[in-house]
Parts: sequence; C-alpha cells; structure tokens
Amino acid sequence: MQTTSMKRLELFGWKFTITPARKILTIIAALSIGAMAIRLITGFSLLTNLNDDWPWGLWIAFDVLTGVALAGGGYSTALIVHILHRDKYHPVARGALLTSLLGYILVMAGLFLDIGQWFNFWRPFVSWGHASVLFEVFWCISIYTTIQVLEFGEIVTEKIGLRLHRFFKKILPVLMIIGVVFPTLHQSSLGALFLIAVHKVYPLWWTEYLPVFFLMSSFFIGPAMVCVESALAGKFFGHKVSLNVLTGLARISGRMMVLYLGLKIYDLIERGQWQLAFLGNLEGNMFLLEMIAGVALPIGIVFSRYGKTRKGLLVYGVLTSGGVILNRMNTVFTSMVSYSSGAYFPSIWEFIVSIGLIAIGCLLYSFIVENFNIFDHHPSQPKDENTKNLSA
Amino acid sequence: MVGAGAVVAGCASEPAGGKGWMPNQYNVAANWPVQVKGRVPIDSSNPAIDRDDTKCILCGQCLEVCKNVVSVYGYYELPIQNDITCIHCGQCTMWCPTGAITERNEIKKVQAALASADQHVIVQTAPAIRVALGEEFNLPPGSLVQGQQVTALKKAGFDAVFDTSWSADLTIMEEASELIKRLTTGKALPHFTSCCPGWVKFAEYFYADLQPHLSSCKSPQQMLGAVAKSYYAKEKGIAPEQIFSVAVMPCTAKKFECQRPEMNAAGILRGNPAIRDVDVVLTTRELANLLKSNGIDLSRLVDTPYDSVLGESTGAGVIFGATGGVTEAAVRTAYYLVTRQDPPAALLQWENVRGLKGVKEASVELPGVGTVKVAVCHGLRDARVVLEKVRKQQSDWHFIEFMACPGGCIGGGGQPRTSLPPSDEVRKARMANLYKLDGTAVKRASYQNKEVMDLYQKFLHAPLSEESESLLHTHYVDRSHQLKPKEKV
Amino acid sequence: MSKGVLVDITKCIGCGSCTVACKMWNKLEYDQNVSSIGETAKLNDKNWTVVTRTSAQDSKGQAVWRFAKQQCMHCLEPACASACFSRALQRNADGAVEYYPDLCVGCRYCMIACPFDVPKYEWSKAAPLITKCQLCSTRVAKGEAPACVAVCPTGVMKFGDRQELLQEAHQLIRREDLYLKTVYGEKEVGGTCWLYISDIPFDQLGFKSGLGSVALPSYTHSFLKNVPIIALGWGVLLTGMSFYARRRNELAKARQERLAGKNGEGDADADDFDEEA
Repeated sequence: MQTTSMKRLELFGWKFTITPARKILTIIAALSIGAMAIRLITGFSLLTNLNDDWPWGLWIAFDVLTGVALAGGGYSTALIVHILHRDKYHPVARGALLTSLLGYILVMAGLFLDIGQWFNFWRPFVSWGHASVLFEVFWCISIYTTIQVLEFGEIVTEKIGLRLHRFFKKILPVLMIIGVVFPTLHQSSLGALFLIAVHKVYPLWWTEYLPVFFLMSSFFIGPAMVCVESALAGKFFGHKVSLNVLTGLARISGRMMVLYLGLKIYDLIERGQWQLAFLGNLEGNMFLLEMIAGVALPIGIVFSRYGKTRKGLLVYGVLTSGGVILNRMNTVFTSMVSYSSGAYFPSIWEFIVSIGLIAIGCLLYSFIVENFNIFDHHPSQPKDENTKNLSA
Repeated sequence: MVGAGAVVAGCASEPAGGKGWMPNQYNVAANWPVQVKGRVPIDSSNPAIDRDDTKCILCGQCLEVCKNVVSVYGYYELPIQNDITCIHCGQCTMWCPTGAITERNEIKKVQAALASADQHVIVQTAPAIRVALGEEFNLPPGSLVQGQQVTALKKAGFDAVFDTSWSADLTIMEEASELIKRLTTGKALPHFTSCCPGWVKFAEYFYADLQPHLSSCKSPQQMLGAVAKSYYAKEKGIAPEQIFSVAVMPCTAKKFECQRPEMNAAGILRGNPAIRDVDVVLTTRELANLLKSNGIDLSRLVDTPYDSVLGESTGAGVIFGATGGVTEAAVRTAYYLVTRQDPPAALLQWENVRGLKGVKEASVELPGVGTVKVAVCHGLRDARVVLEKVRKQQSDWHFIEFMACPGGCIGGGGQPRTSLPPSDEVRKARMANLYKLDGTAVKRASYQNKEVMDLYQKFLHAPLSEESESLLHTHYVDRSHQLKPKEKV
Repeated sequence: MSKGVLVDITKCIGCGSCTVACKMWNKLEYDQNVSSIGETAKLNDKNWTVVTRTSAQDSKGQAVWRFAKQQCMHCLEPACASACFSRALQRNADGAVEYYPDLCVGCRYCMIACPFDVPKYEWSKAAPLITKCQLCSTRVAKGEAPACVAVCPTGVMKFGDRQELLQEAHQLIRREDLYLKTVYGEKEVGGTCWLYISDIPFDQLGFKSGLGSVALPSYTHSFLKNVPIIALGWGVLLTGMSFYARRRNELAKARQERLAGKNGEGDADADDFDEEA
C-alpha cells in the first residue's frame, strides 16, 4: 500500500490504518451487513434464489463447507507446531490460528444466516439429534470455536487482562490437543454430511471415503493457505516468513496430497466409477479440473525446484486452495446438477453476503494484526538458523 | 422450572398439522364404512365444468348425483383409459352446497365482444330460460319472463336477440322428416333424439353400438348458430366473421357442444373453417350475473318480441324445454307431414309424454304409417333401462326421447339454483308455464312457423335437402375406447 | 407395530379428494401458482400431498392416464429423522414420521437427506419451517385413517397394519394379471409405511427408482459409530505424540548444549508451553 494514502486512526490505544483497499472492504462489509439484516428479518425469498430443489446454496457451500476447510490451517499448523513440536514452523502458528479463529467465527455467522429459525439456533444443545452428522458438526464447531477463542486468549492477554495470561499459558497444551481432535472430527463430518444423500450426489464424489477425503483436504489446505497468506501479509504488513519454513510446510502438505490423490484413484477404481471422469460431461470435466489443477499440479510444483521459490509457493498455494474450494463446490453443486429437477444460481445478494463475510474477516484480521503480536512472536530467541537445525 | 425445561428440550412440543377439520362422516375409526364420500373427478381442461378446490368440503353430493341420477360415475371400470369421463350435464353444479362446482365462467368473453365496436353480437335464448331466469330476480319459480328477457338482453347491448324455440321448430322439421323416412324404410329404429348434448356424449361413451339410432339432427342451438352465420348473415349483409354468436342455455353441456370440432358448418360453407357456429354459451346463471353486473333488473322491464328472422316460435318449439316436449312437438309435425292435416286436439295436449315420471311410454296412430310407439326418458339412470332393452332388441319403440337432466332442459345444469338439492316443485312450476305458453299460442306446431318456412324457401329448399344436411345435420364420435363400461353396477 | 397405507394406482381417477382432505385437516392454504392435482402438481410447503397425472402406455400399448398420489412415504428408517440434529423429526410408534416445528432450527439437512424429496420449506415466510405429511398422526392415534385415505371415493387407499397390507398386496398382484409384480415401498430404502401397486412401471409415474433396499441412516451410522473411538484414540495419540516430541526436542537441545559446551540459559529453545518461569 502507498504510504501516502494511509491514515491511521487511534482510539483508546487501539490502532487502525485506513487504506484504499480497506475502504473498499468496509463498503462491502457494510453492504453485506445490511443484506444480512434484511435476510434475518424477511426470510430467504427476497434476497436468495434458494428453492425446494436447491435447499442448500452458496452460503452452505462456500461460507460453511469451504470456510471450515480454509480455516483448517489452524489445526494443521497446531498439529505440526504444538503437538509434533516442529518448532521451526512457529513463526506461522499465530497467523494460522488467527485466520482459523476468524474463519470459524465467519462460518458460524454464515450458518446463522442460513438457518430459517435463527432464534432457535441453540436448540440442538438441549434437543439432541445425536444420530445426525450435523449434530456432531454443530457441537464440534461450537466447542472448537470456543477452544480457539481460549487459545487466542493467550495472545489477547498479552495486551489486556494481563493477569489472566498465566492461566491461559497453563491450559494451552490441553487446549491444543482438544483443538486438534475436534477439527479432525468435524472436518471429516462435513464430508460425512453427504453420505446420506447417496442417491443424489454424483458417484464421482459420493464415496464412503467422503469423510476421509474432506479431512485430508482440510489438512493439506492449511499450509497452502499459509503460503497465500504469507505472500499477502508480506505485501501488506511487511511480514515475511522465511522461505525455508514455507517450503517445509508445503512439503508436508504435498505428501498428504500425494496420499489423497492415490486414495482418490484407488477409490474410483475400486468402485468401478473411474470411467465417469472421462465422459466429457459437466461432472467429468469438473472432476478432472479439480484433480489436475487442484491436486496433481500443486504436487508437481511442491516437489520441483519451483517449489523452493516464493512465486512457486504462491502458485502452489493458490492452486491447492482453489482445488479444495472447487471440491466443496463440486460436492454441493456439480454433483447434484443431474439429480435436481430445478435450477439454482446464487443471487447477487448471496454473493454480496459471502464476499462481505470475507471482507469482515479481512478487516478484523488487519485490525488484530495491527494491535496484537501476531507476526513477531518468537517463543525463543528469533534465530532462524537455530530452529532450522533443530528440525532437520 | 420443569415445564420450561421440558419446552426447551422439546418434550412438550406438538407435531405439525391436524389443526383443521373434516366433515363428521370421516371422523370414524378406519374399519367403519363411510357411504357418502369424496367427489367427482373434473379435468382441469373440462370445457363446461369448473371447480374451485378452496370451496370444496368433500360432502360427496356431486358424486351422489353423478352416480345415482346421471349414472356416469361408477359406471366404468377401473383403471381408467386416457379420459376423465364426464358428459358435462352440470347436475353436480346444481347439487354442490358450497358452490365449489360451477359452469366454466365465460361472461368475460361476452363482455369483451359486447364492448368491441366491430362485432355484431347476436344471442339466442333456449326455451327453458324464459321460465327460470326470473327466479334469479326473486320472482316465483317458473315465472314467465320471455318478453322481459329480450328487453334485458337488448339493454345489455346485444345487437339481435333470437329464440332457440325458432330453431327448435327447424329441428322438428328436420327430425320429423327423418323419423318418417326411418318409419317408412324401417331402418335405424327406434329413432333416438339428439338435441341433448349431455345425452349425446353419454351415448358416445356407453352406447356407441347404438349410434345409428341417433338422429343426425343437430340440436336447436347449433342449428340456429349455423343458420345465423349463413342465412341471417346473407339476409343482413353482414360478414359471418363479424358475427359473434352467443347462446344462453339452461345447460353446461352446451358449452362442450359448441366446442365440438364439427360444429363449424357455417364456417365450412364460407370457406373459413375457423368460424364457430356458436362462439360462447352462457348458462342461465351466467346471464343473470351479466344482467346484474349491468344493473339490469329483469322484473321491472317491459316485454319486447324476439328479432326477425330467427325469432318466431310456435308452441311446439317452446315445449322443447320440458321432458317429453321434443316428442310431442315431433309427433305434431310428423302427423302433418304424413297426412297434410293439422294434428288432432289430443296430440296438442299429450299427457302421456308429459310429467316427471322417469320413463314415459305412449303410442300414437299415424294414418298411413301405423302405430308409432314412443318412450321418453329424463335422467340418464332411467335411460339405461330403456337402452339396455334396445341393445338386447327387446323393444318395440319407434321413437325415444332422451334428456340427461331430470325434467329436461328446465331442470338443466345451467339453471338457477332455486332449491338445494334441485326439487320437483321447481321443475313442475317451470314445466307448467312452458305448457301454458304452448296452450295459449296461436301456432302450436313447427310447420306453422313462417320464419322457418321462409328459411326453406330462400335458402335450404326442403328438409333433408343437400343444403339442410350440410348445415343442420351432424355425425357422432365413438368414445367407447375411452372407457370400459361396467358390466354390473 | 407400524401402520401403513396400501395404494392401488389402478383405482385412482384423479378426483383429488385426498388433496382437499389434506388441506382441510391440516389447515393448509391453496397455492395459487402450484397446483395439487394434475400434470403440473408439485409438493411444496402448502401441498403436503399431490396427485400427479401421467400419460403412459398400458401393457396393450394403449394410451392411458395414471394418477400417482405423492406425500411423505414414512420410511421405516427415516433419513430425515436421522439427519435432524435437533430431533424436530421423529418417528412415532405408529410409524408416522412427525415434524415438531418448535424444535426445528431450519437448516434443511432433512431436505438433502430425504431420498424422496418430500420435506419442503416455507421459502416465502420470514421464519420458515419445514413442512411435510404427518400421516395425520393425531387421527391415527385415535384409530382413524389419515384424512386422505378416509375420503377416497374409489378405495385407492387402504389403511391398516403395514405387515398385513403387504401380505394383501402380494396376494393381489399374484392373483391379478393387471398388476406389475412389485410393491413399491416394500424394500425401498429399507421399507416405507406407504406401499404402492400399479399396472404401469413406477419410474414412468414419477416414482424414484434405484433407491436400493439399504436404509439411509446406516450410511451415517457406520461413520458416526466410530467417532467416539476415533476422538478418544486420536486424543490419546496426540497427547503421546506431544510428550514424545517435546522430550525428543529436549534431548536434542541437551545434546546440542553438550556439543557446544555451553552452560546456563537452559530455556533457549524450549517451545512456548514451558516458557513461563
């Protein structure tokens, strides 16, 4: 951003820099908040194109399914850094946690908008539909978001409520373990949601391994998102994560992707459905696009020379994230096209709300990064060489 | 606390639905029978009958009349073929207590035609209208309003008001001639009347094998329609395309009849088959609505005669509206056609074919032809008895009159709902006034109708001539493949 | 014992009495745009049951009309109920799958889950609920037939014990040549309370085909049953891994210190868990 156009607001010690990009984000956010209010007051018919043939639309596919996957960076980094104690990746941990926390809050906002009886959202806490996958997702996401808030409490209490900081530090290890267990469950459960729609989901996507695929992809999208985020943060906040760290993360992710691709191919062959990918129809082509551009290509990048450059990692990150987004979209939309008798394309307001949620996320992220110690946090003395040796 | 907890946890909540009501006969344990239930099927594309589901209360009355009076529902095997069996008689519209079932309302079409400057809108009124329309204006059942209704129609903007009794006389000229031809050749006897479109469709469904017996004469409505767009158009110098022909009928099946594809004789004569002989049929009820919406109070109007050249009628044409009337009218003229003498007084007051008995039988001596035995049926369930005898060749009738509705046209499905369910008192009152009109008429037989004779002289030459055949006669459709009649009901 | 309704498609004349009965008993509005009888009839929030008309050919090649009554099939193992995370859909002792509006959150997962696409949503309302046939559960509780069954003039539908109706259906289709030799709803997705027999193949009449006989909740169950074990196992494993990794890091650090010959300042490389002093 051009420093000339920047203006910094300060109020009670909180800082927020105004830039042209942030102004645009604020406008979008305001517009979407207005749309959300209208949606909550008037129902769905005014602003959305949802109908009986397409009960789930953009908000579920993007805000919730994709949102949770994108926010998966939090738990995969937590697993790598805090459980496996790969300390060299520490510099990205707080950023990933923040993205994840914001992601989940926005997912919950998206879910809240998508339920008709939003004032009844608490019902599953007392009326237990425990045979439902959604019940598990609901509880897991609720608990996990709470856990993340607590995890983040450790960061917040560095600045305010300092007396609590010791307490947060103490419970952090436990939180971290719970904070990995729950995402593992609900990431896979999001895939399992579609198990019951066995006759509706196109066979290229419907498999009993759906939960496994959702889990694996939510794991490998984490580092990919970190790569994208780092590139963005490097540009906007001048925070550069060392190339070494990013390459390492990308390779962990890449290994998971190889496993994912292998399992996908095995699953298609085992179910005898592989030829569906090559029918040249919408489903087949979208599937191939998802698998080649979103999985195979990034794998190629990560394990080539190109994967050791910042540019290469950015491309890898974009492709992988795009691939997972496409996968979620395919699961909800492409896979149901031939089943559904009606038509659906999201309305402009559905897009505005979805984009608005991201805008709100970006603004919050910017605000928090400016006010809390997210990027410059090093648990030990910031010696890159040191950590590199350790994990080697 | 416990209660609130139960509500929150959902233990105290109620399932959806079940907040409405059902007629009491349905609220019994499932193993008990319910006699009167459900409703008749009505195709959404039915040209005559319409139903507003929001008013239906499943009282079962439409089904009762359709089955036990008209004998259509329940008289075909299931599964059905590709047709929802209906003869469009409209008796269900008379019985429906909530007014859910009505004629297909076509008032708007007529209003549009009346509003259009370049259309010559003509209207004909059936014999039975003049003894029923008054009831819609709070006159006693059967009140004769012939002259007033002509005035009312003129006030409503119709350019010419004609009498279907005129074409009833024309029908008789054709049908009596046809009867005599059959009597002398001995072919296709007994002769079945064909002026009731409900009966005709019934015959096409259930008695297609007896089709040769049906008279080939069109109904008076369609005869007048065909003549109006040919003869009248020529006499008046109006292009048939410009004429919009409305028929006010006591009947809903007439709506179906005017839409039968073959009912475009005047159009074919003109070389423009798209022209319909009759454009729109309104029921008596619809006419009353039309008049009321124009603020016309029939009971306060003076009399006006029908318009020439399709306006003169005889007593014979008038009694067409009552069961037995067609028979009486046909025999009066047949007597003349055979003997060239006016019929004796007994045939002008033929009590044996009058009245509300389901099947009436009589015989008459036609000099030179011999004894002619007639039967008169109204209400198609009674007709089945007669028809089965004919089918089994156990009958010695020469002429049989069929009317779908009890009482004939005066009890038609398009008549005012003066009593619910339709009662014989109302039917009798209407019939009495038709016969009174006949009794006081100067001309009592169709051959005396000068305007009909003029038509033959100027245009059609003679009954059963080539011109008459093409304009006034029709053919029928075999609908027996559209249903499987039940062997035993 | 589960109740059931046996529908003989060949007896339906399309009068639509059943659709009117449903509206009356459940106090439903008439939809001005979506008919509940005929070729364009469609289930929606106001139409809990519809009678569709299909043009088909009978076994002799003759064109015929057939009417198919649609409503909730009331599965023996309902996918919707298993999908509902707030127990707003529950199967009662009579076999009716009931909807409890108070408990509904409005997530529409039941619509995704239902193999017959029965649950519909009140899209035009500000706080929409799910809607569907309740099998007139309050009537059934009193021993009365569902409203639609009670009013049918031609006896298309018969209400009774599902098992007995199933036997009756099989006897009928064995005895009469007219019928196809299959009872729709006997095995579909594990069986449904509504059973249909017909002379025209069901897929031509708009019935979902290829549903298989596996009850859909079993797909979910085979996943969910593993969740607690996985959660527990995964938690234990993670804890173990965490301790192991930390210990390994400590050992590595100690080794490094030994090699470097350093002393003091022991916490240099420890991770942030044990940073507090």
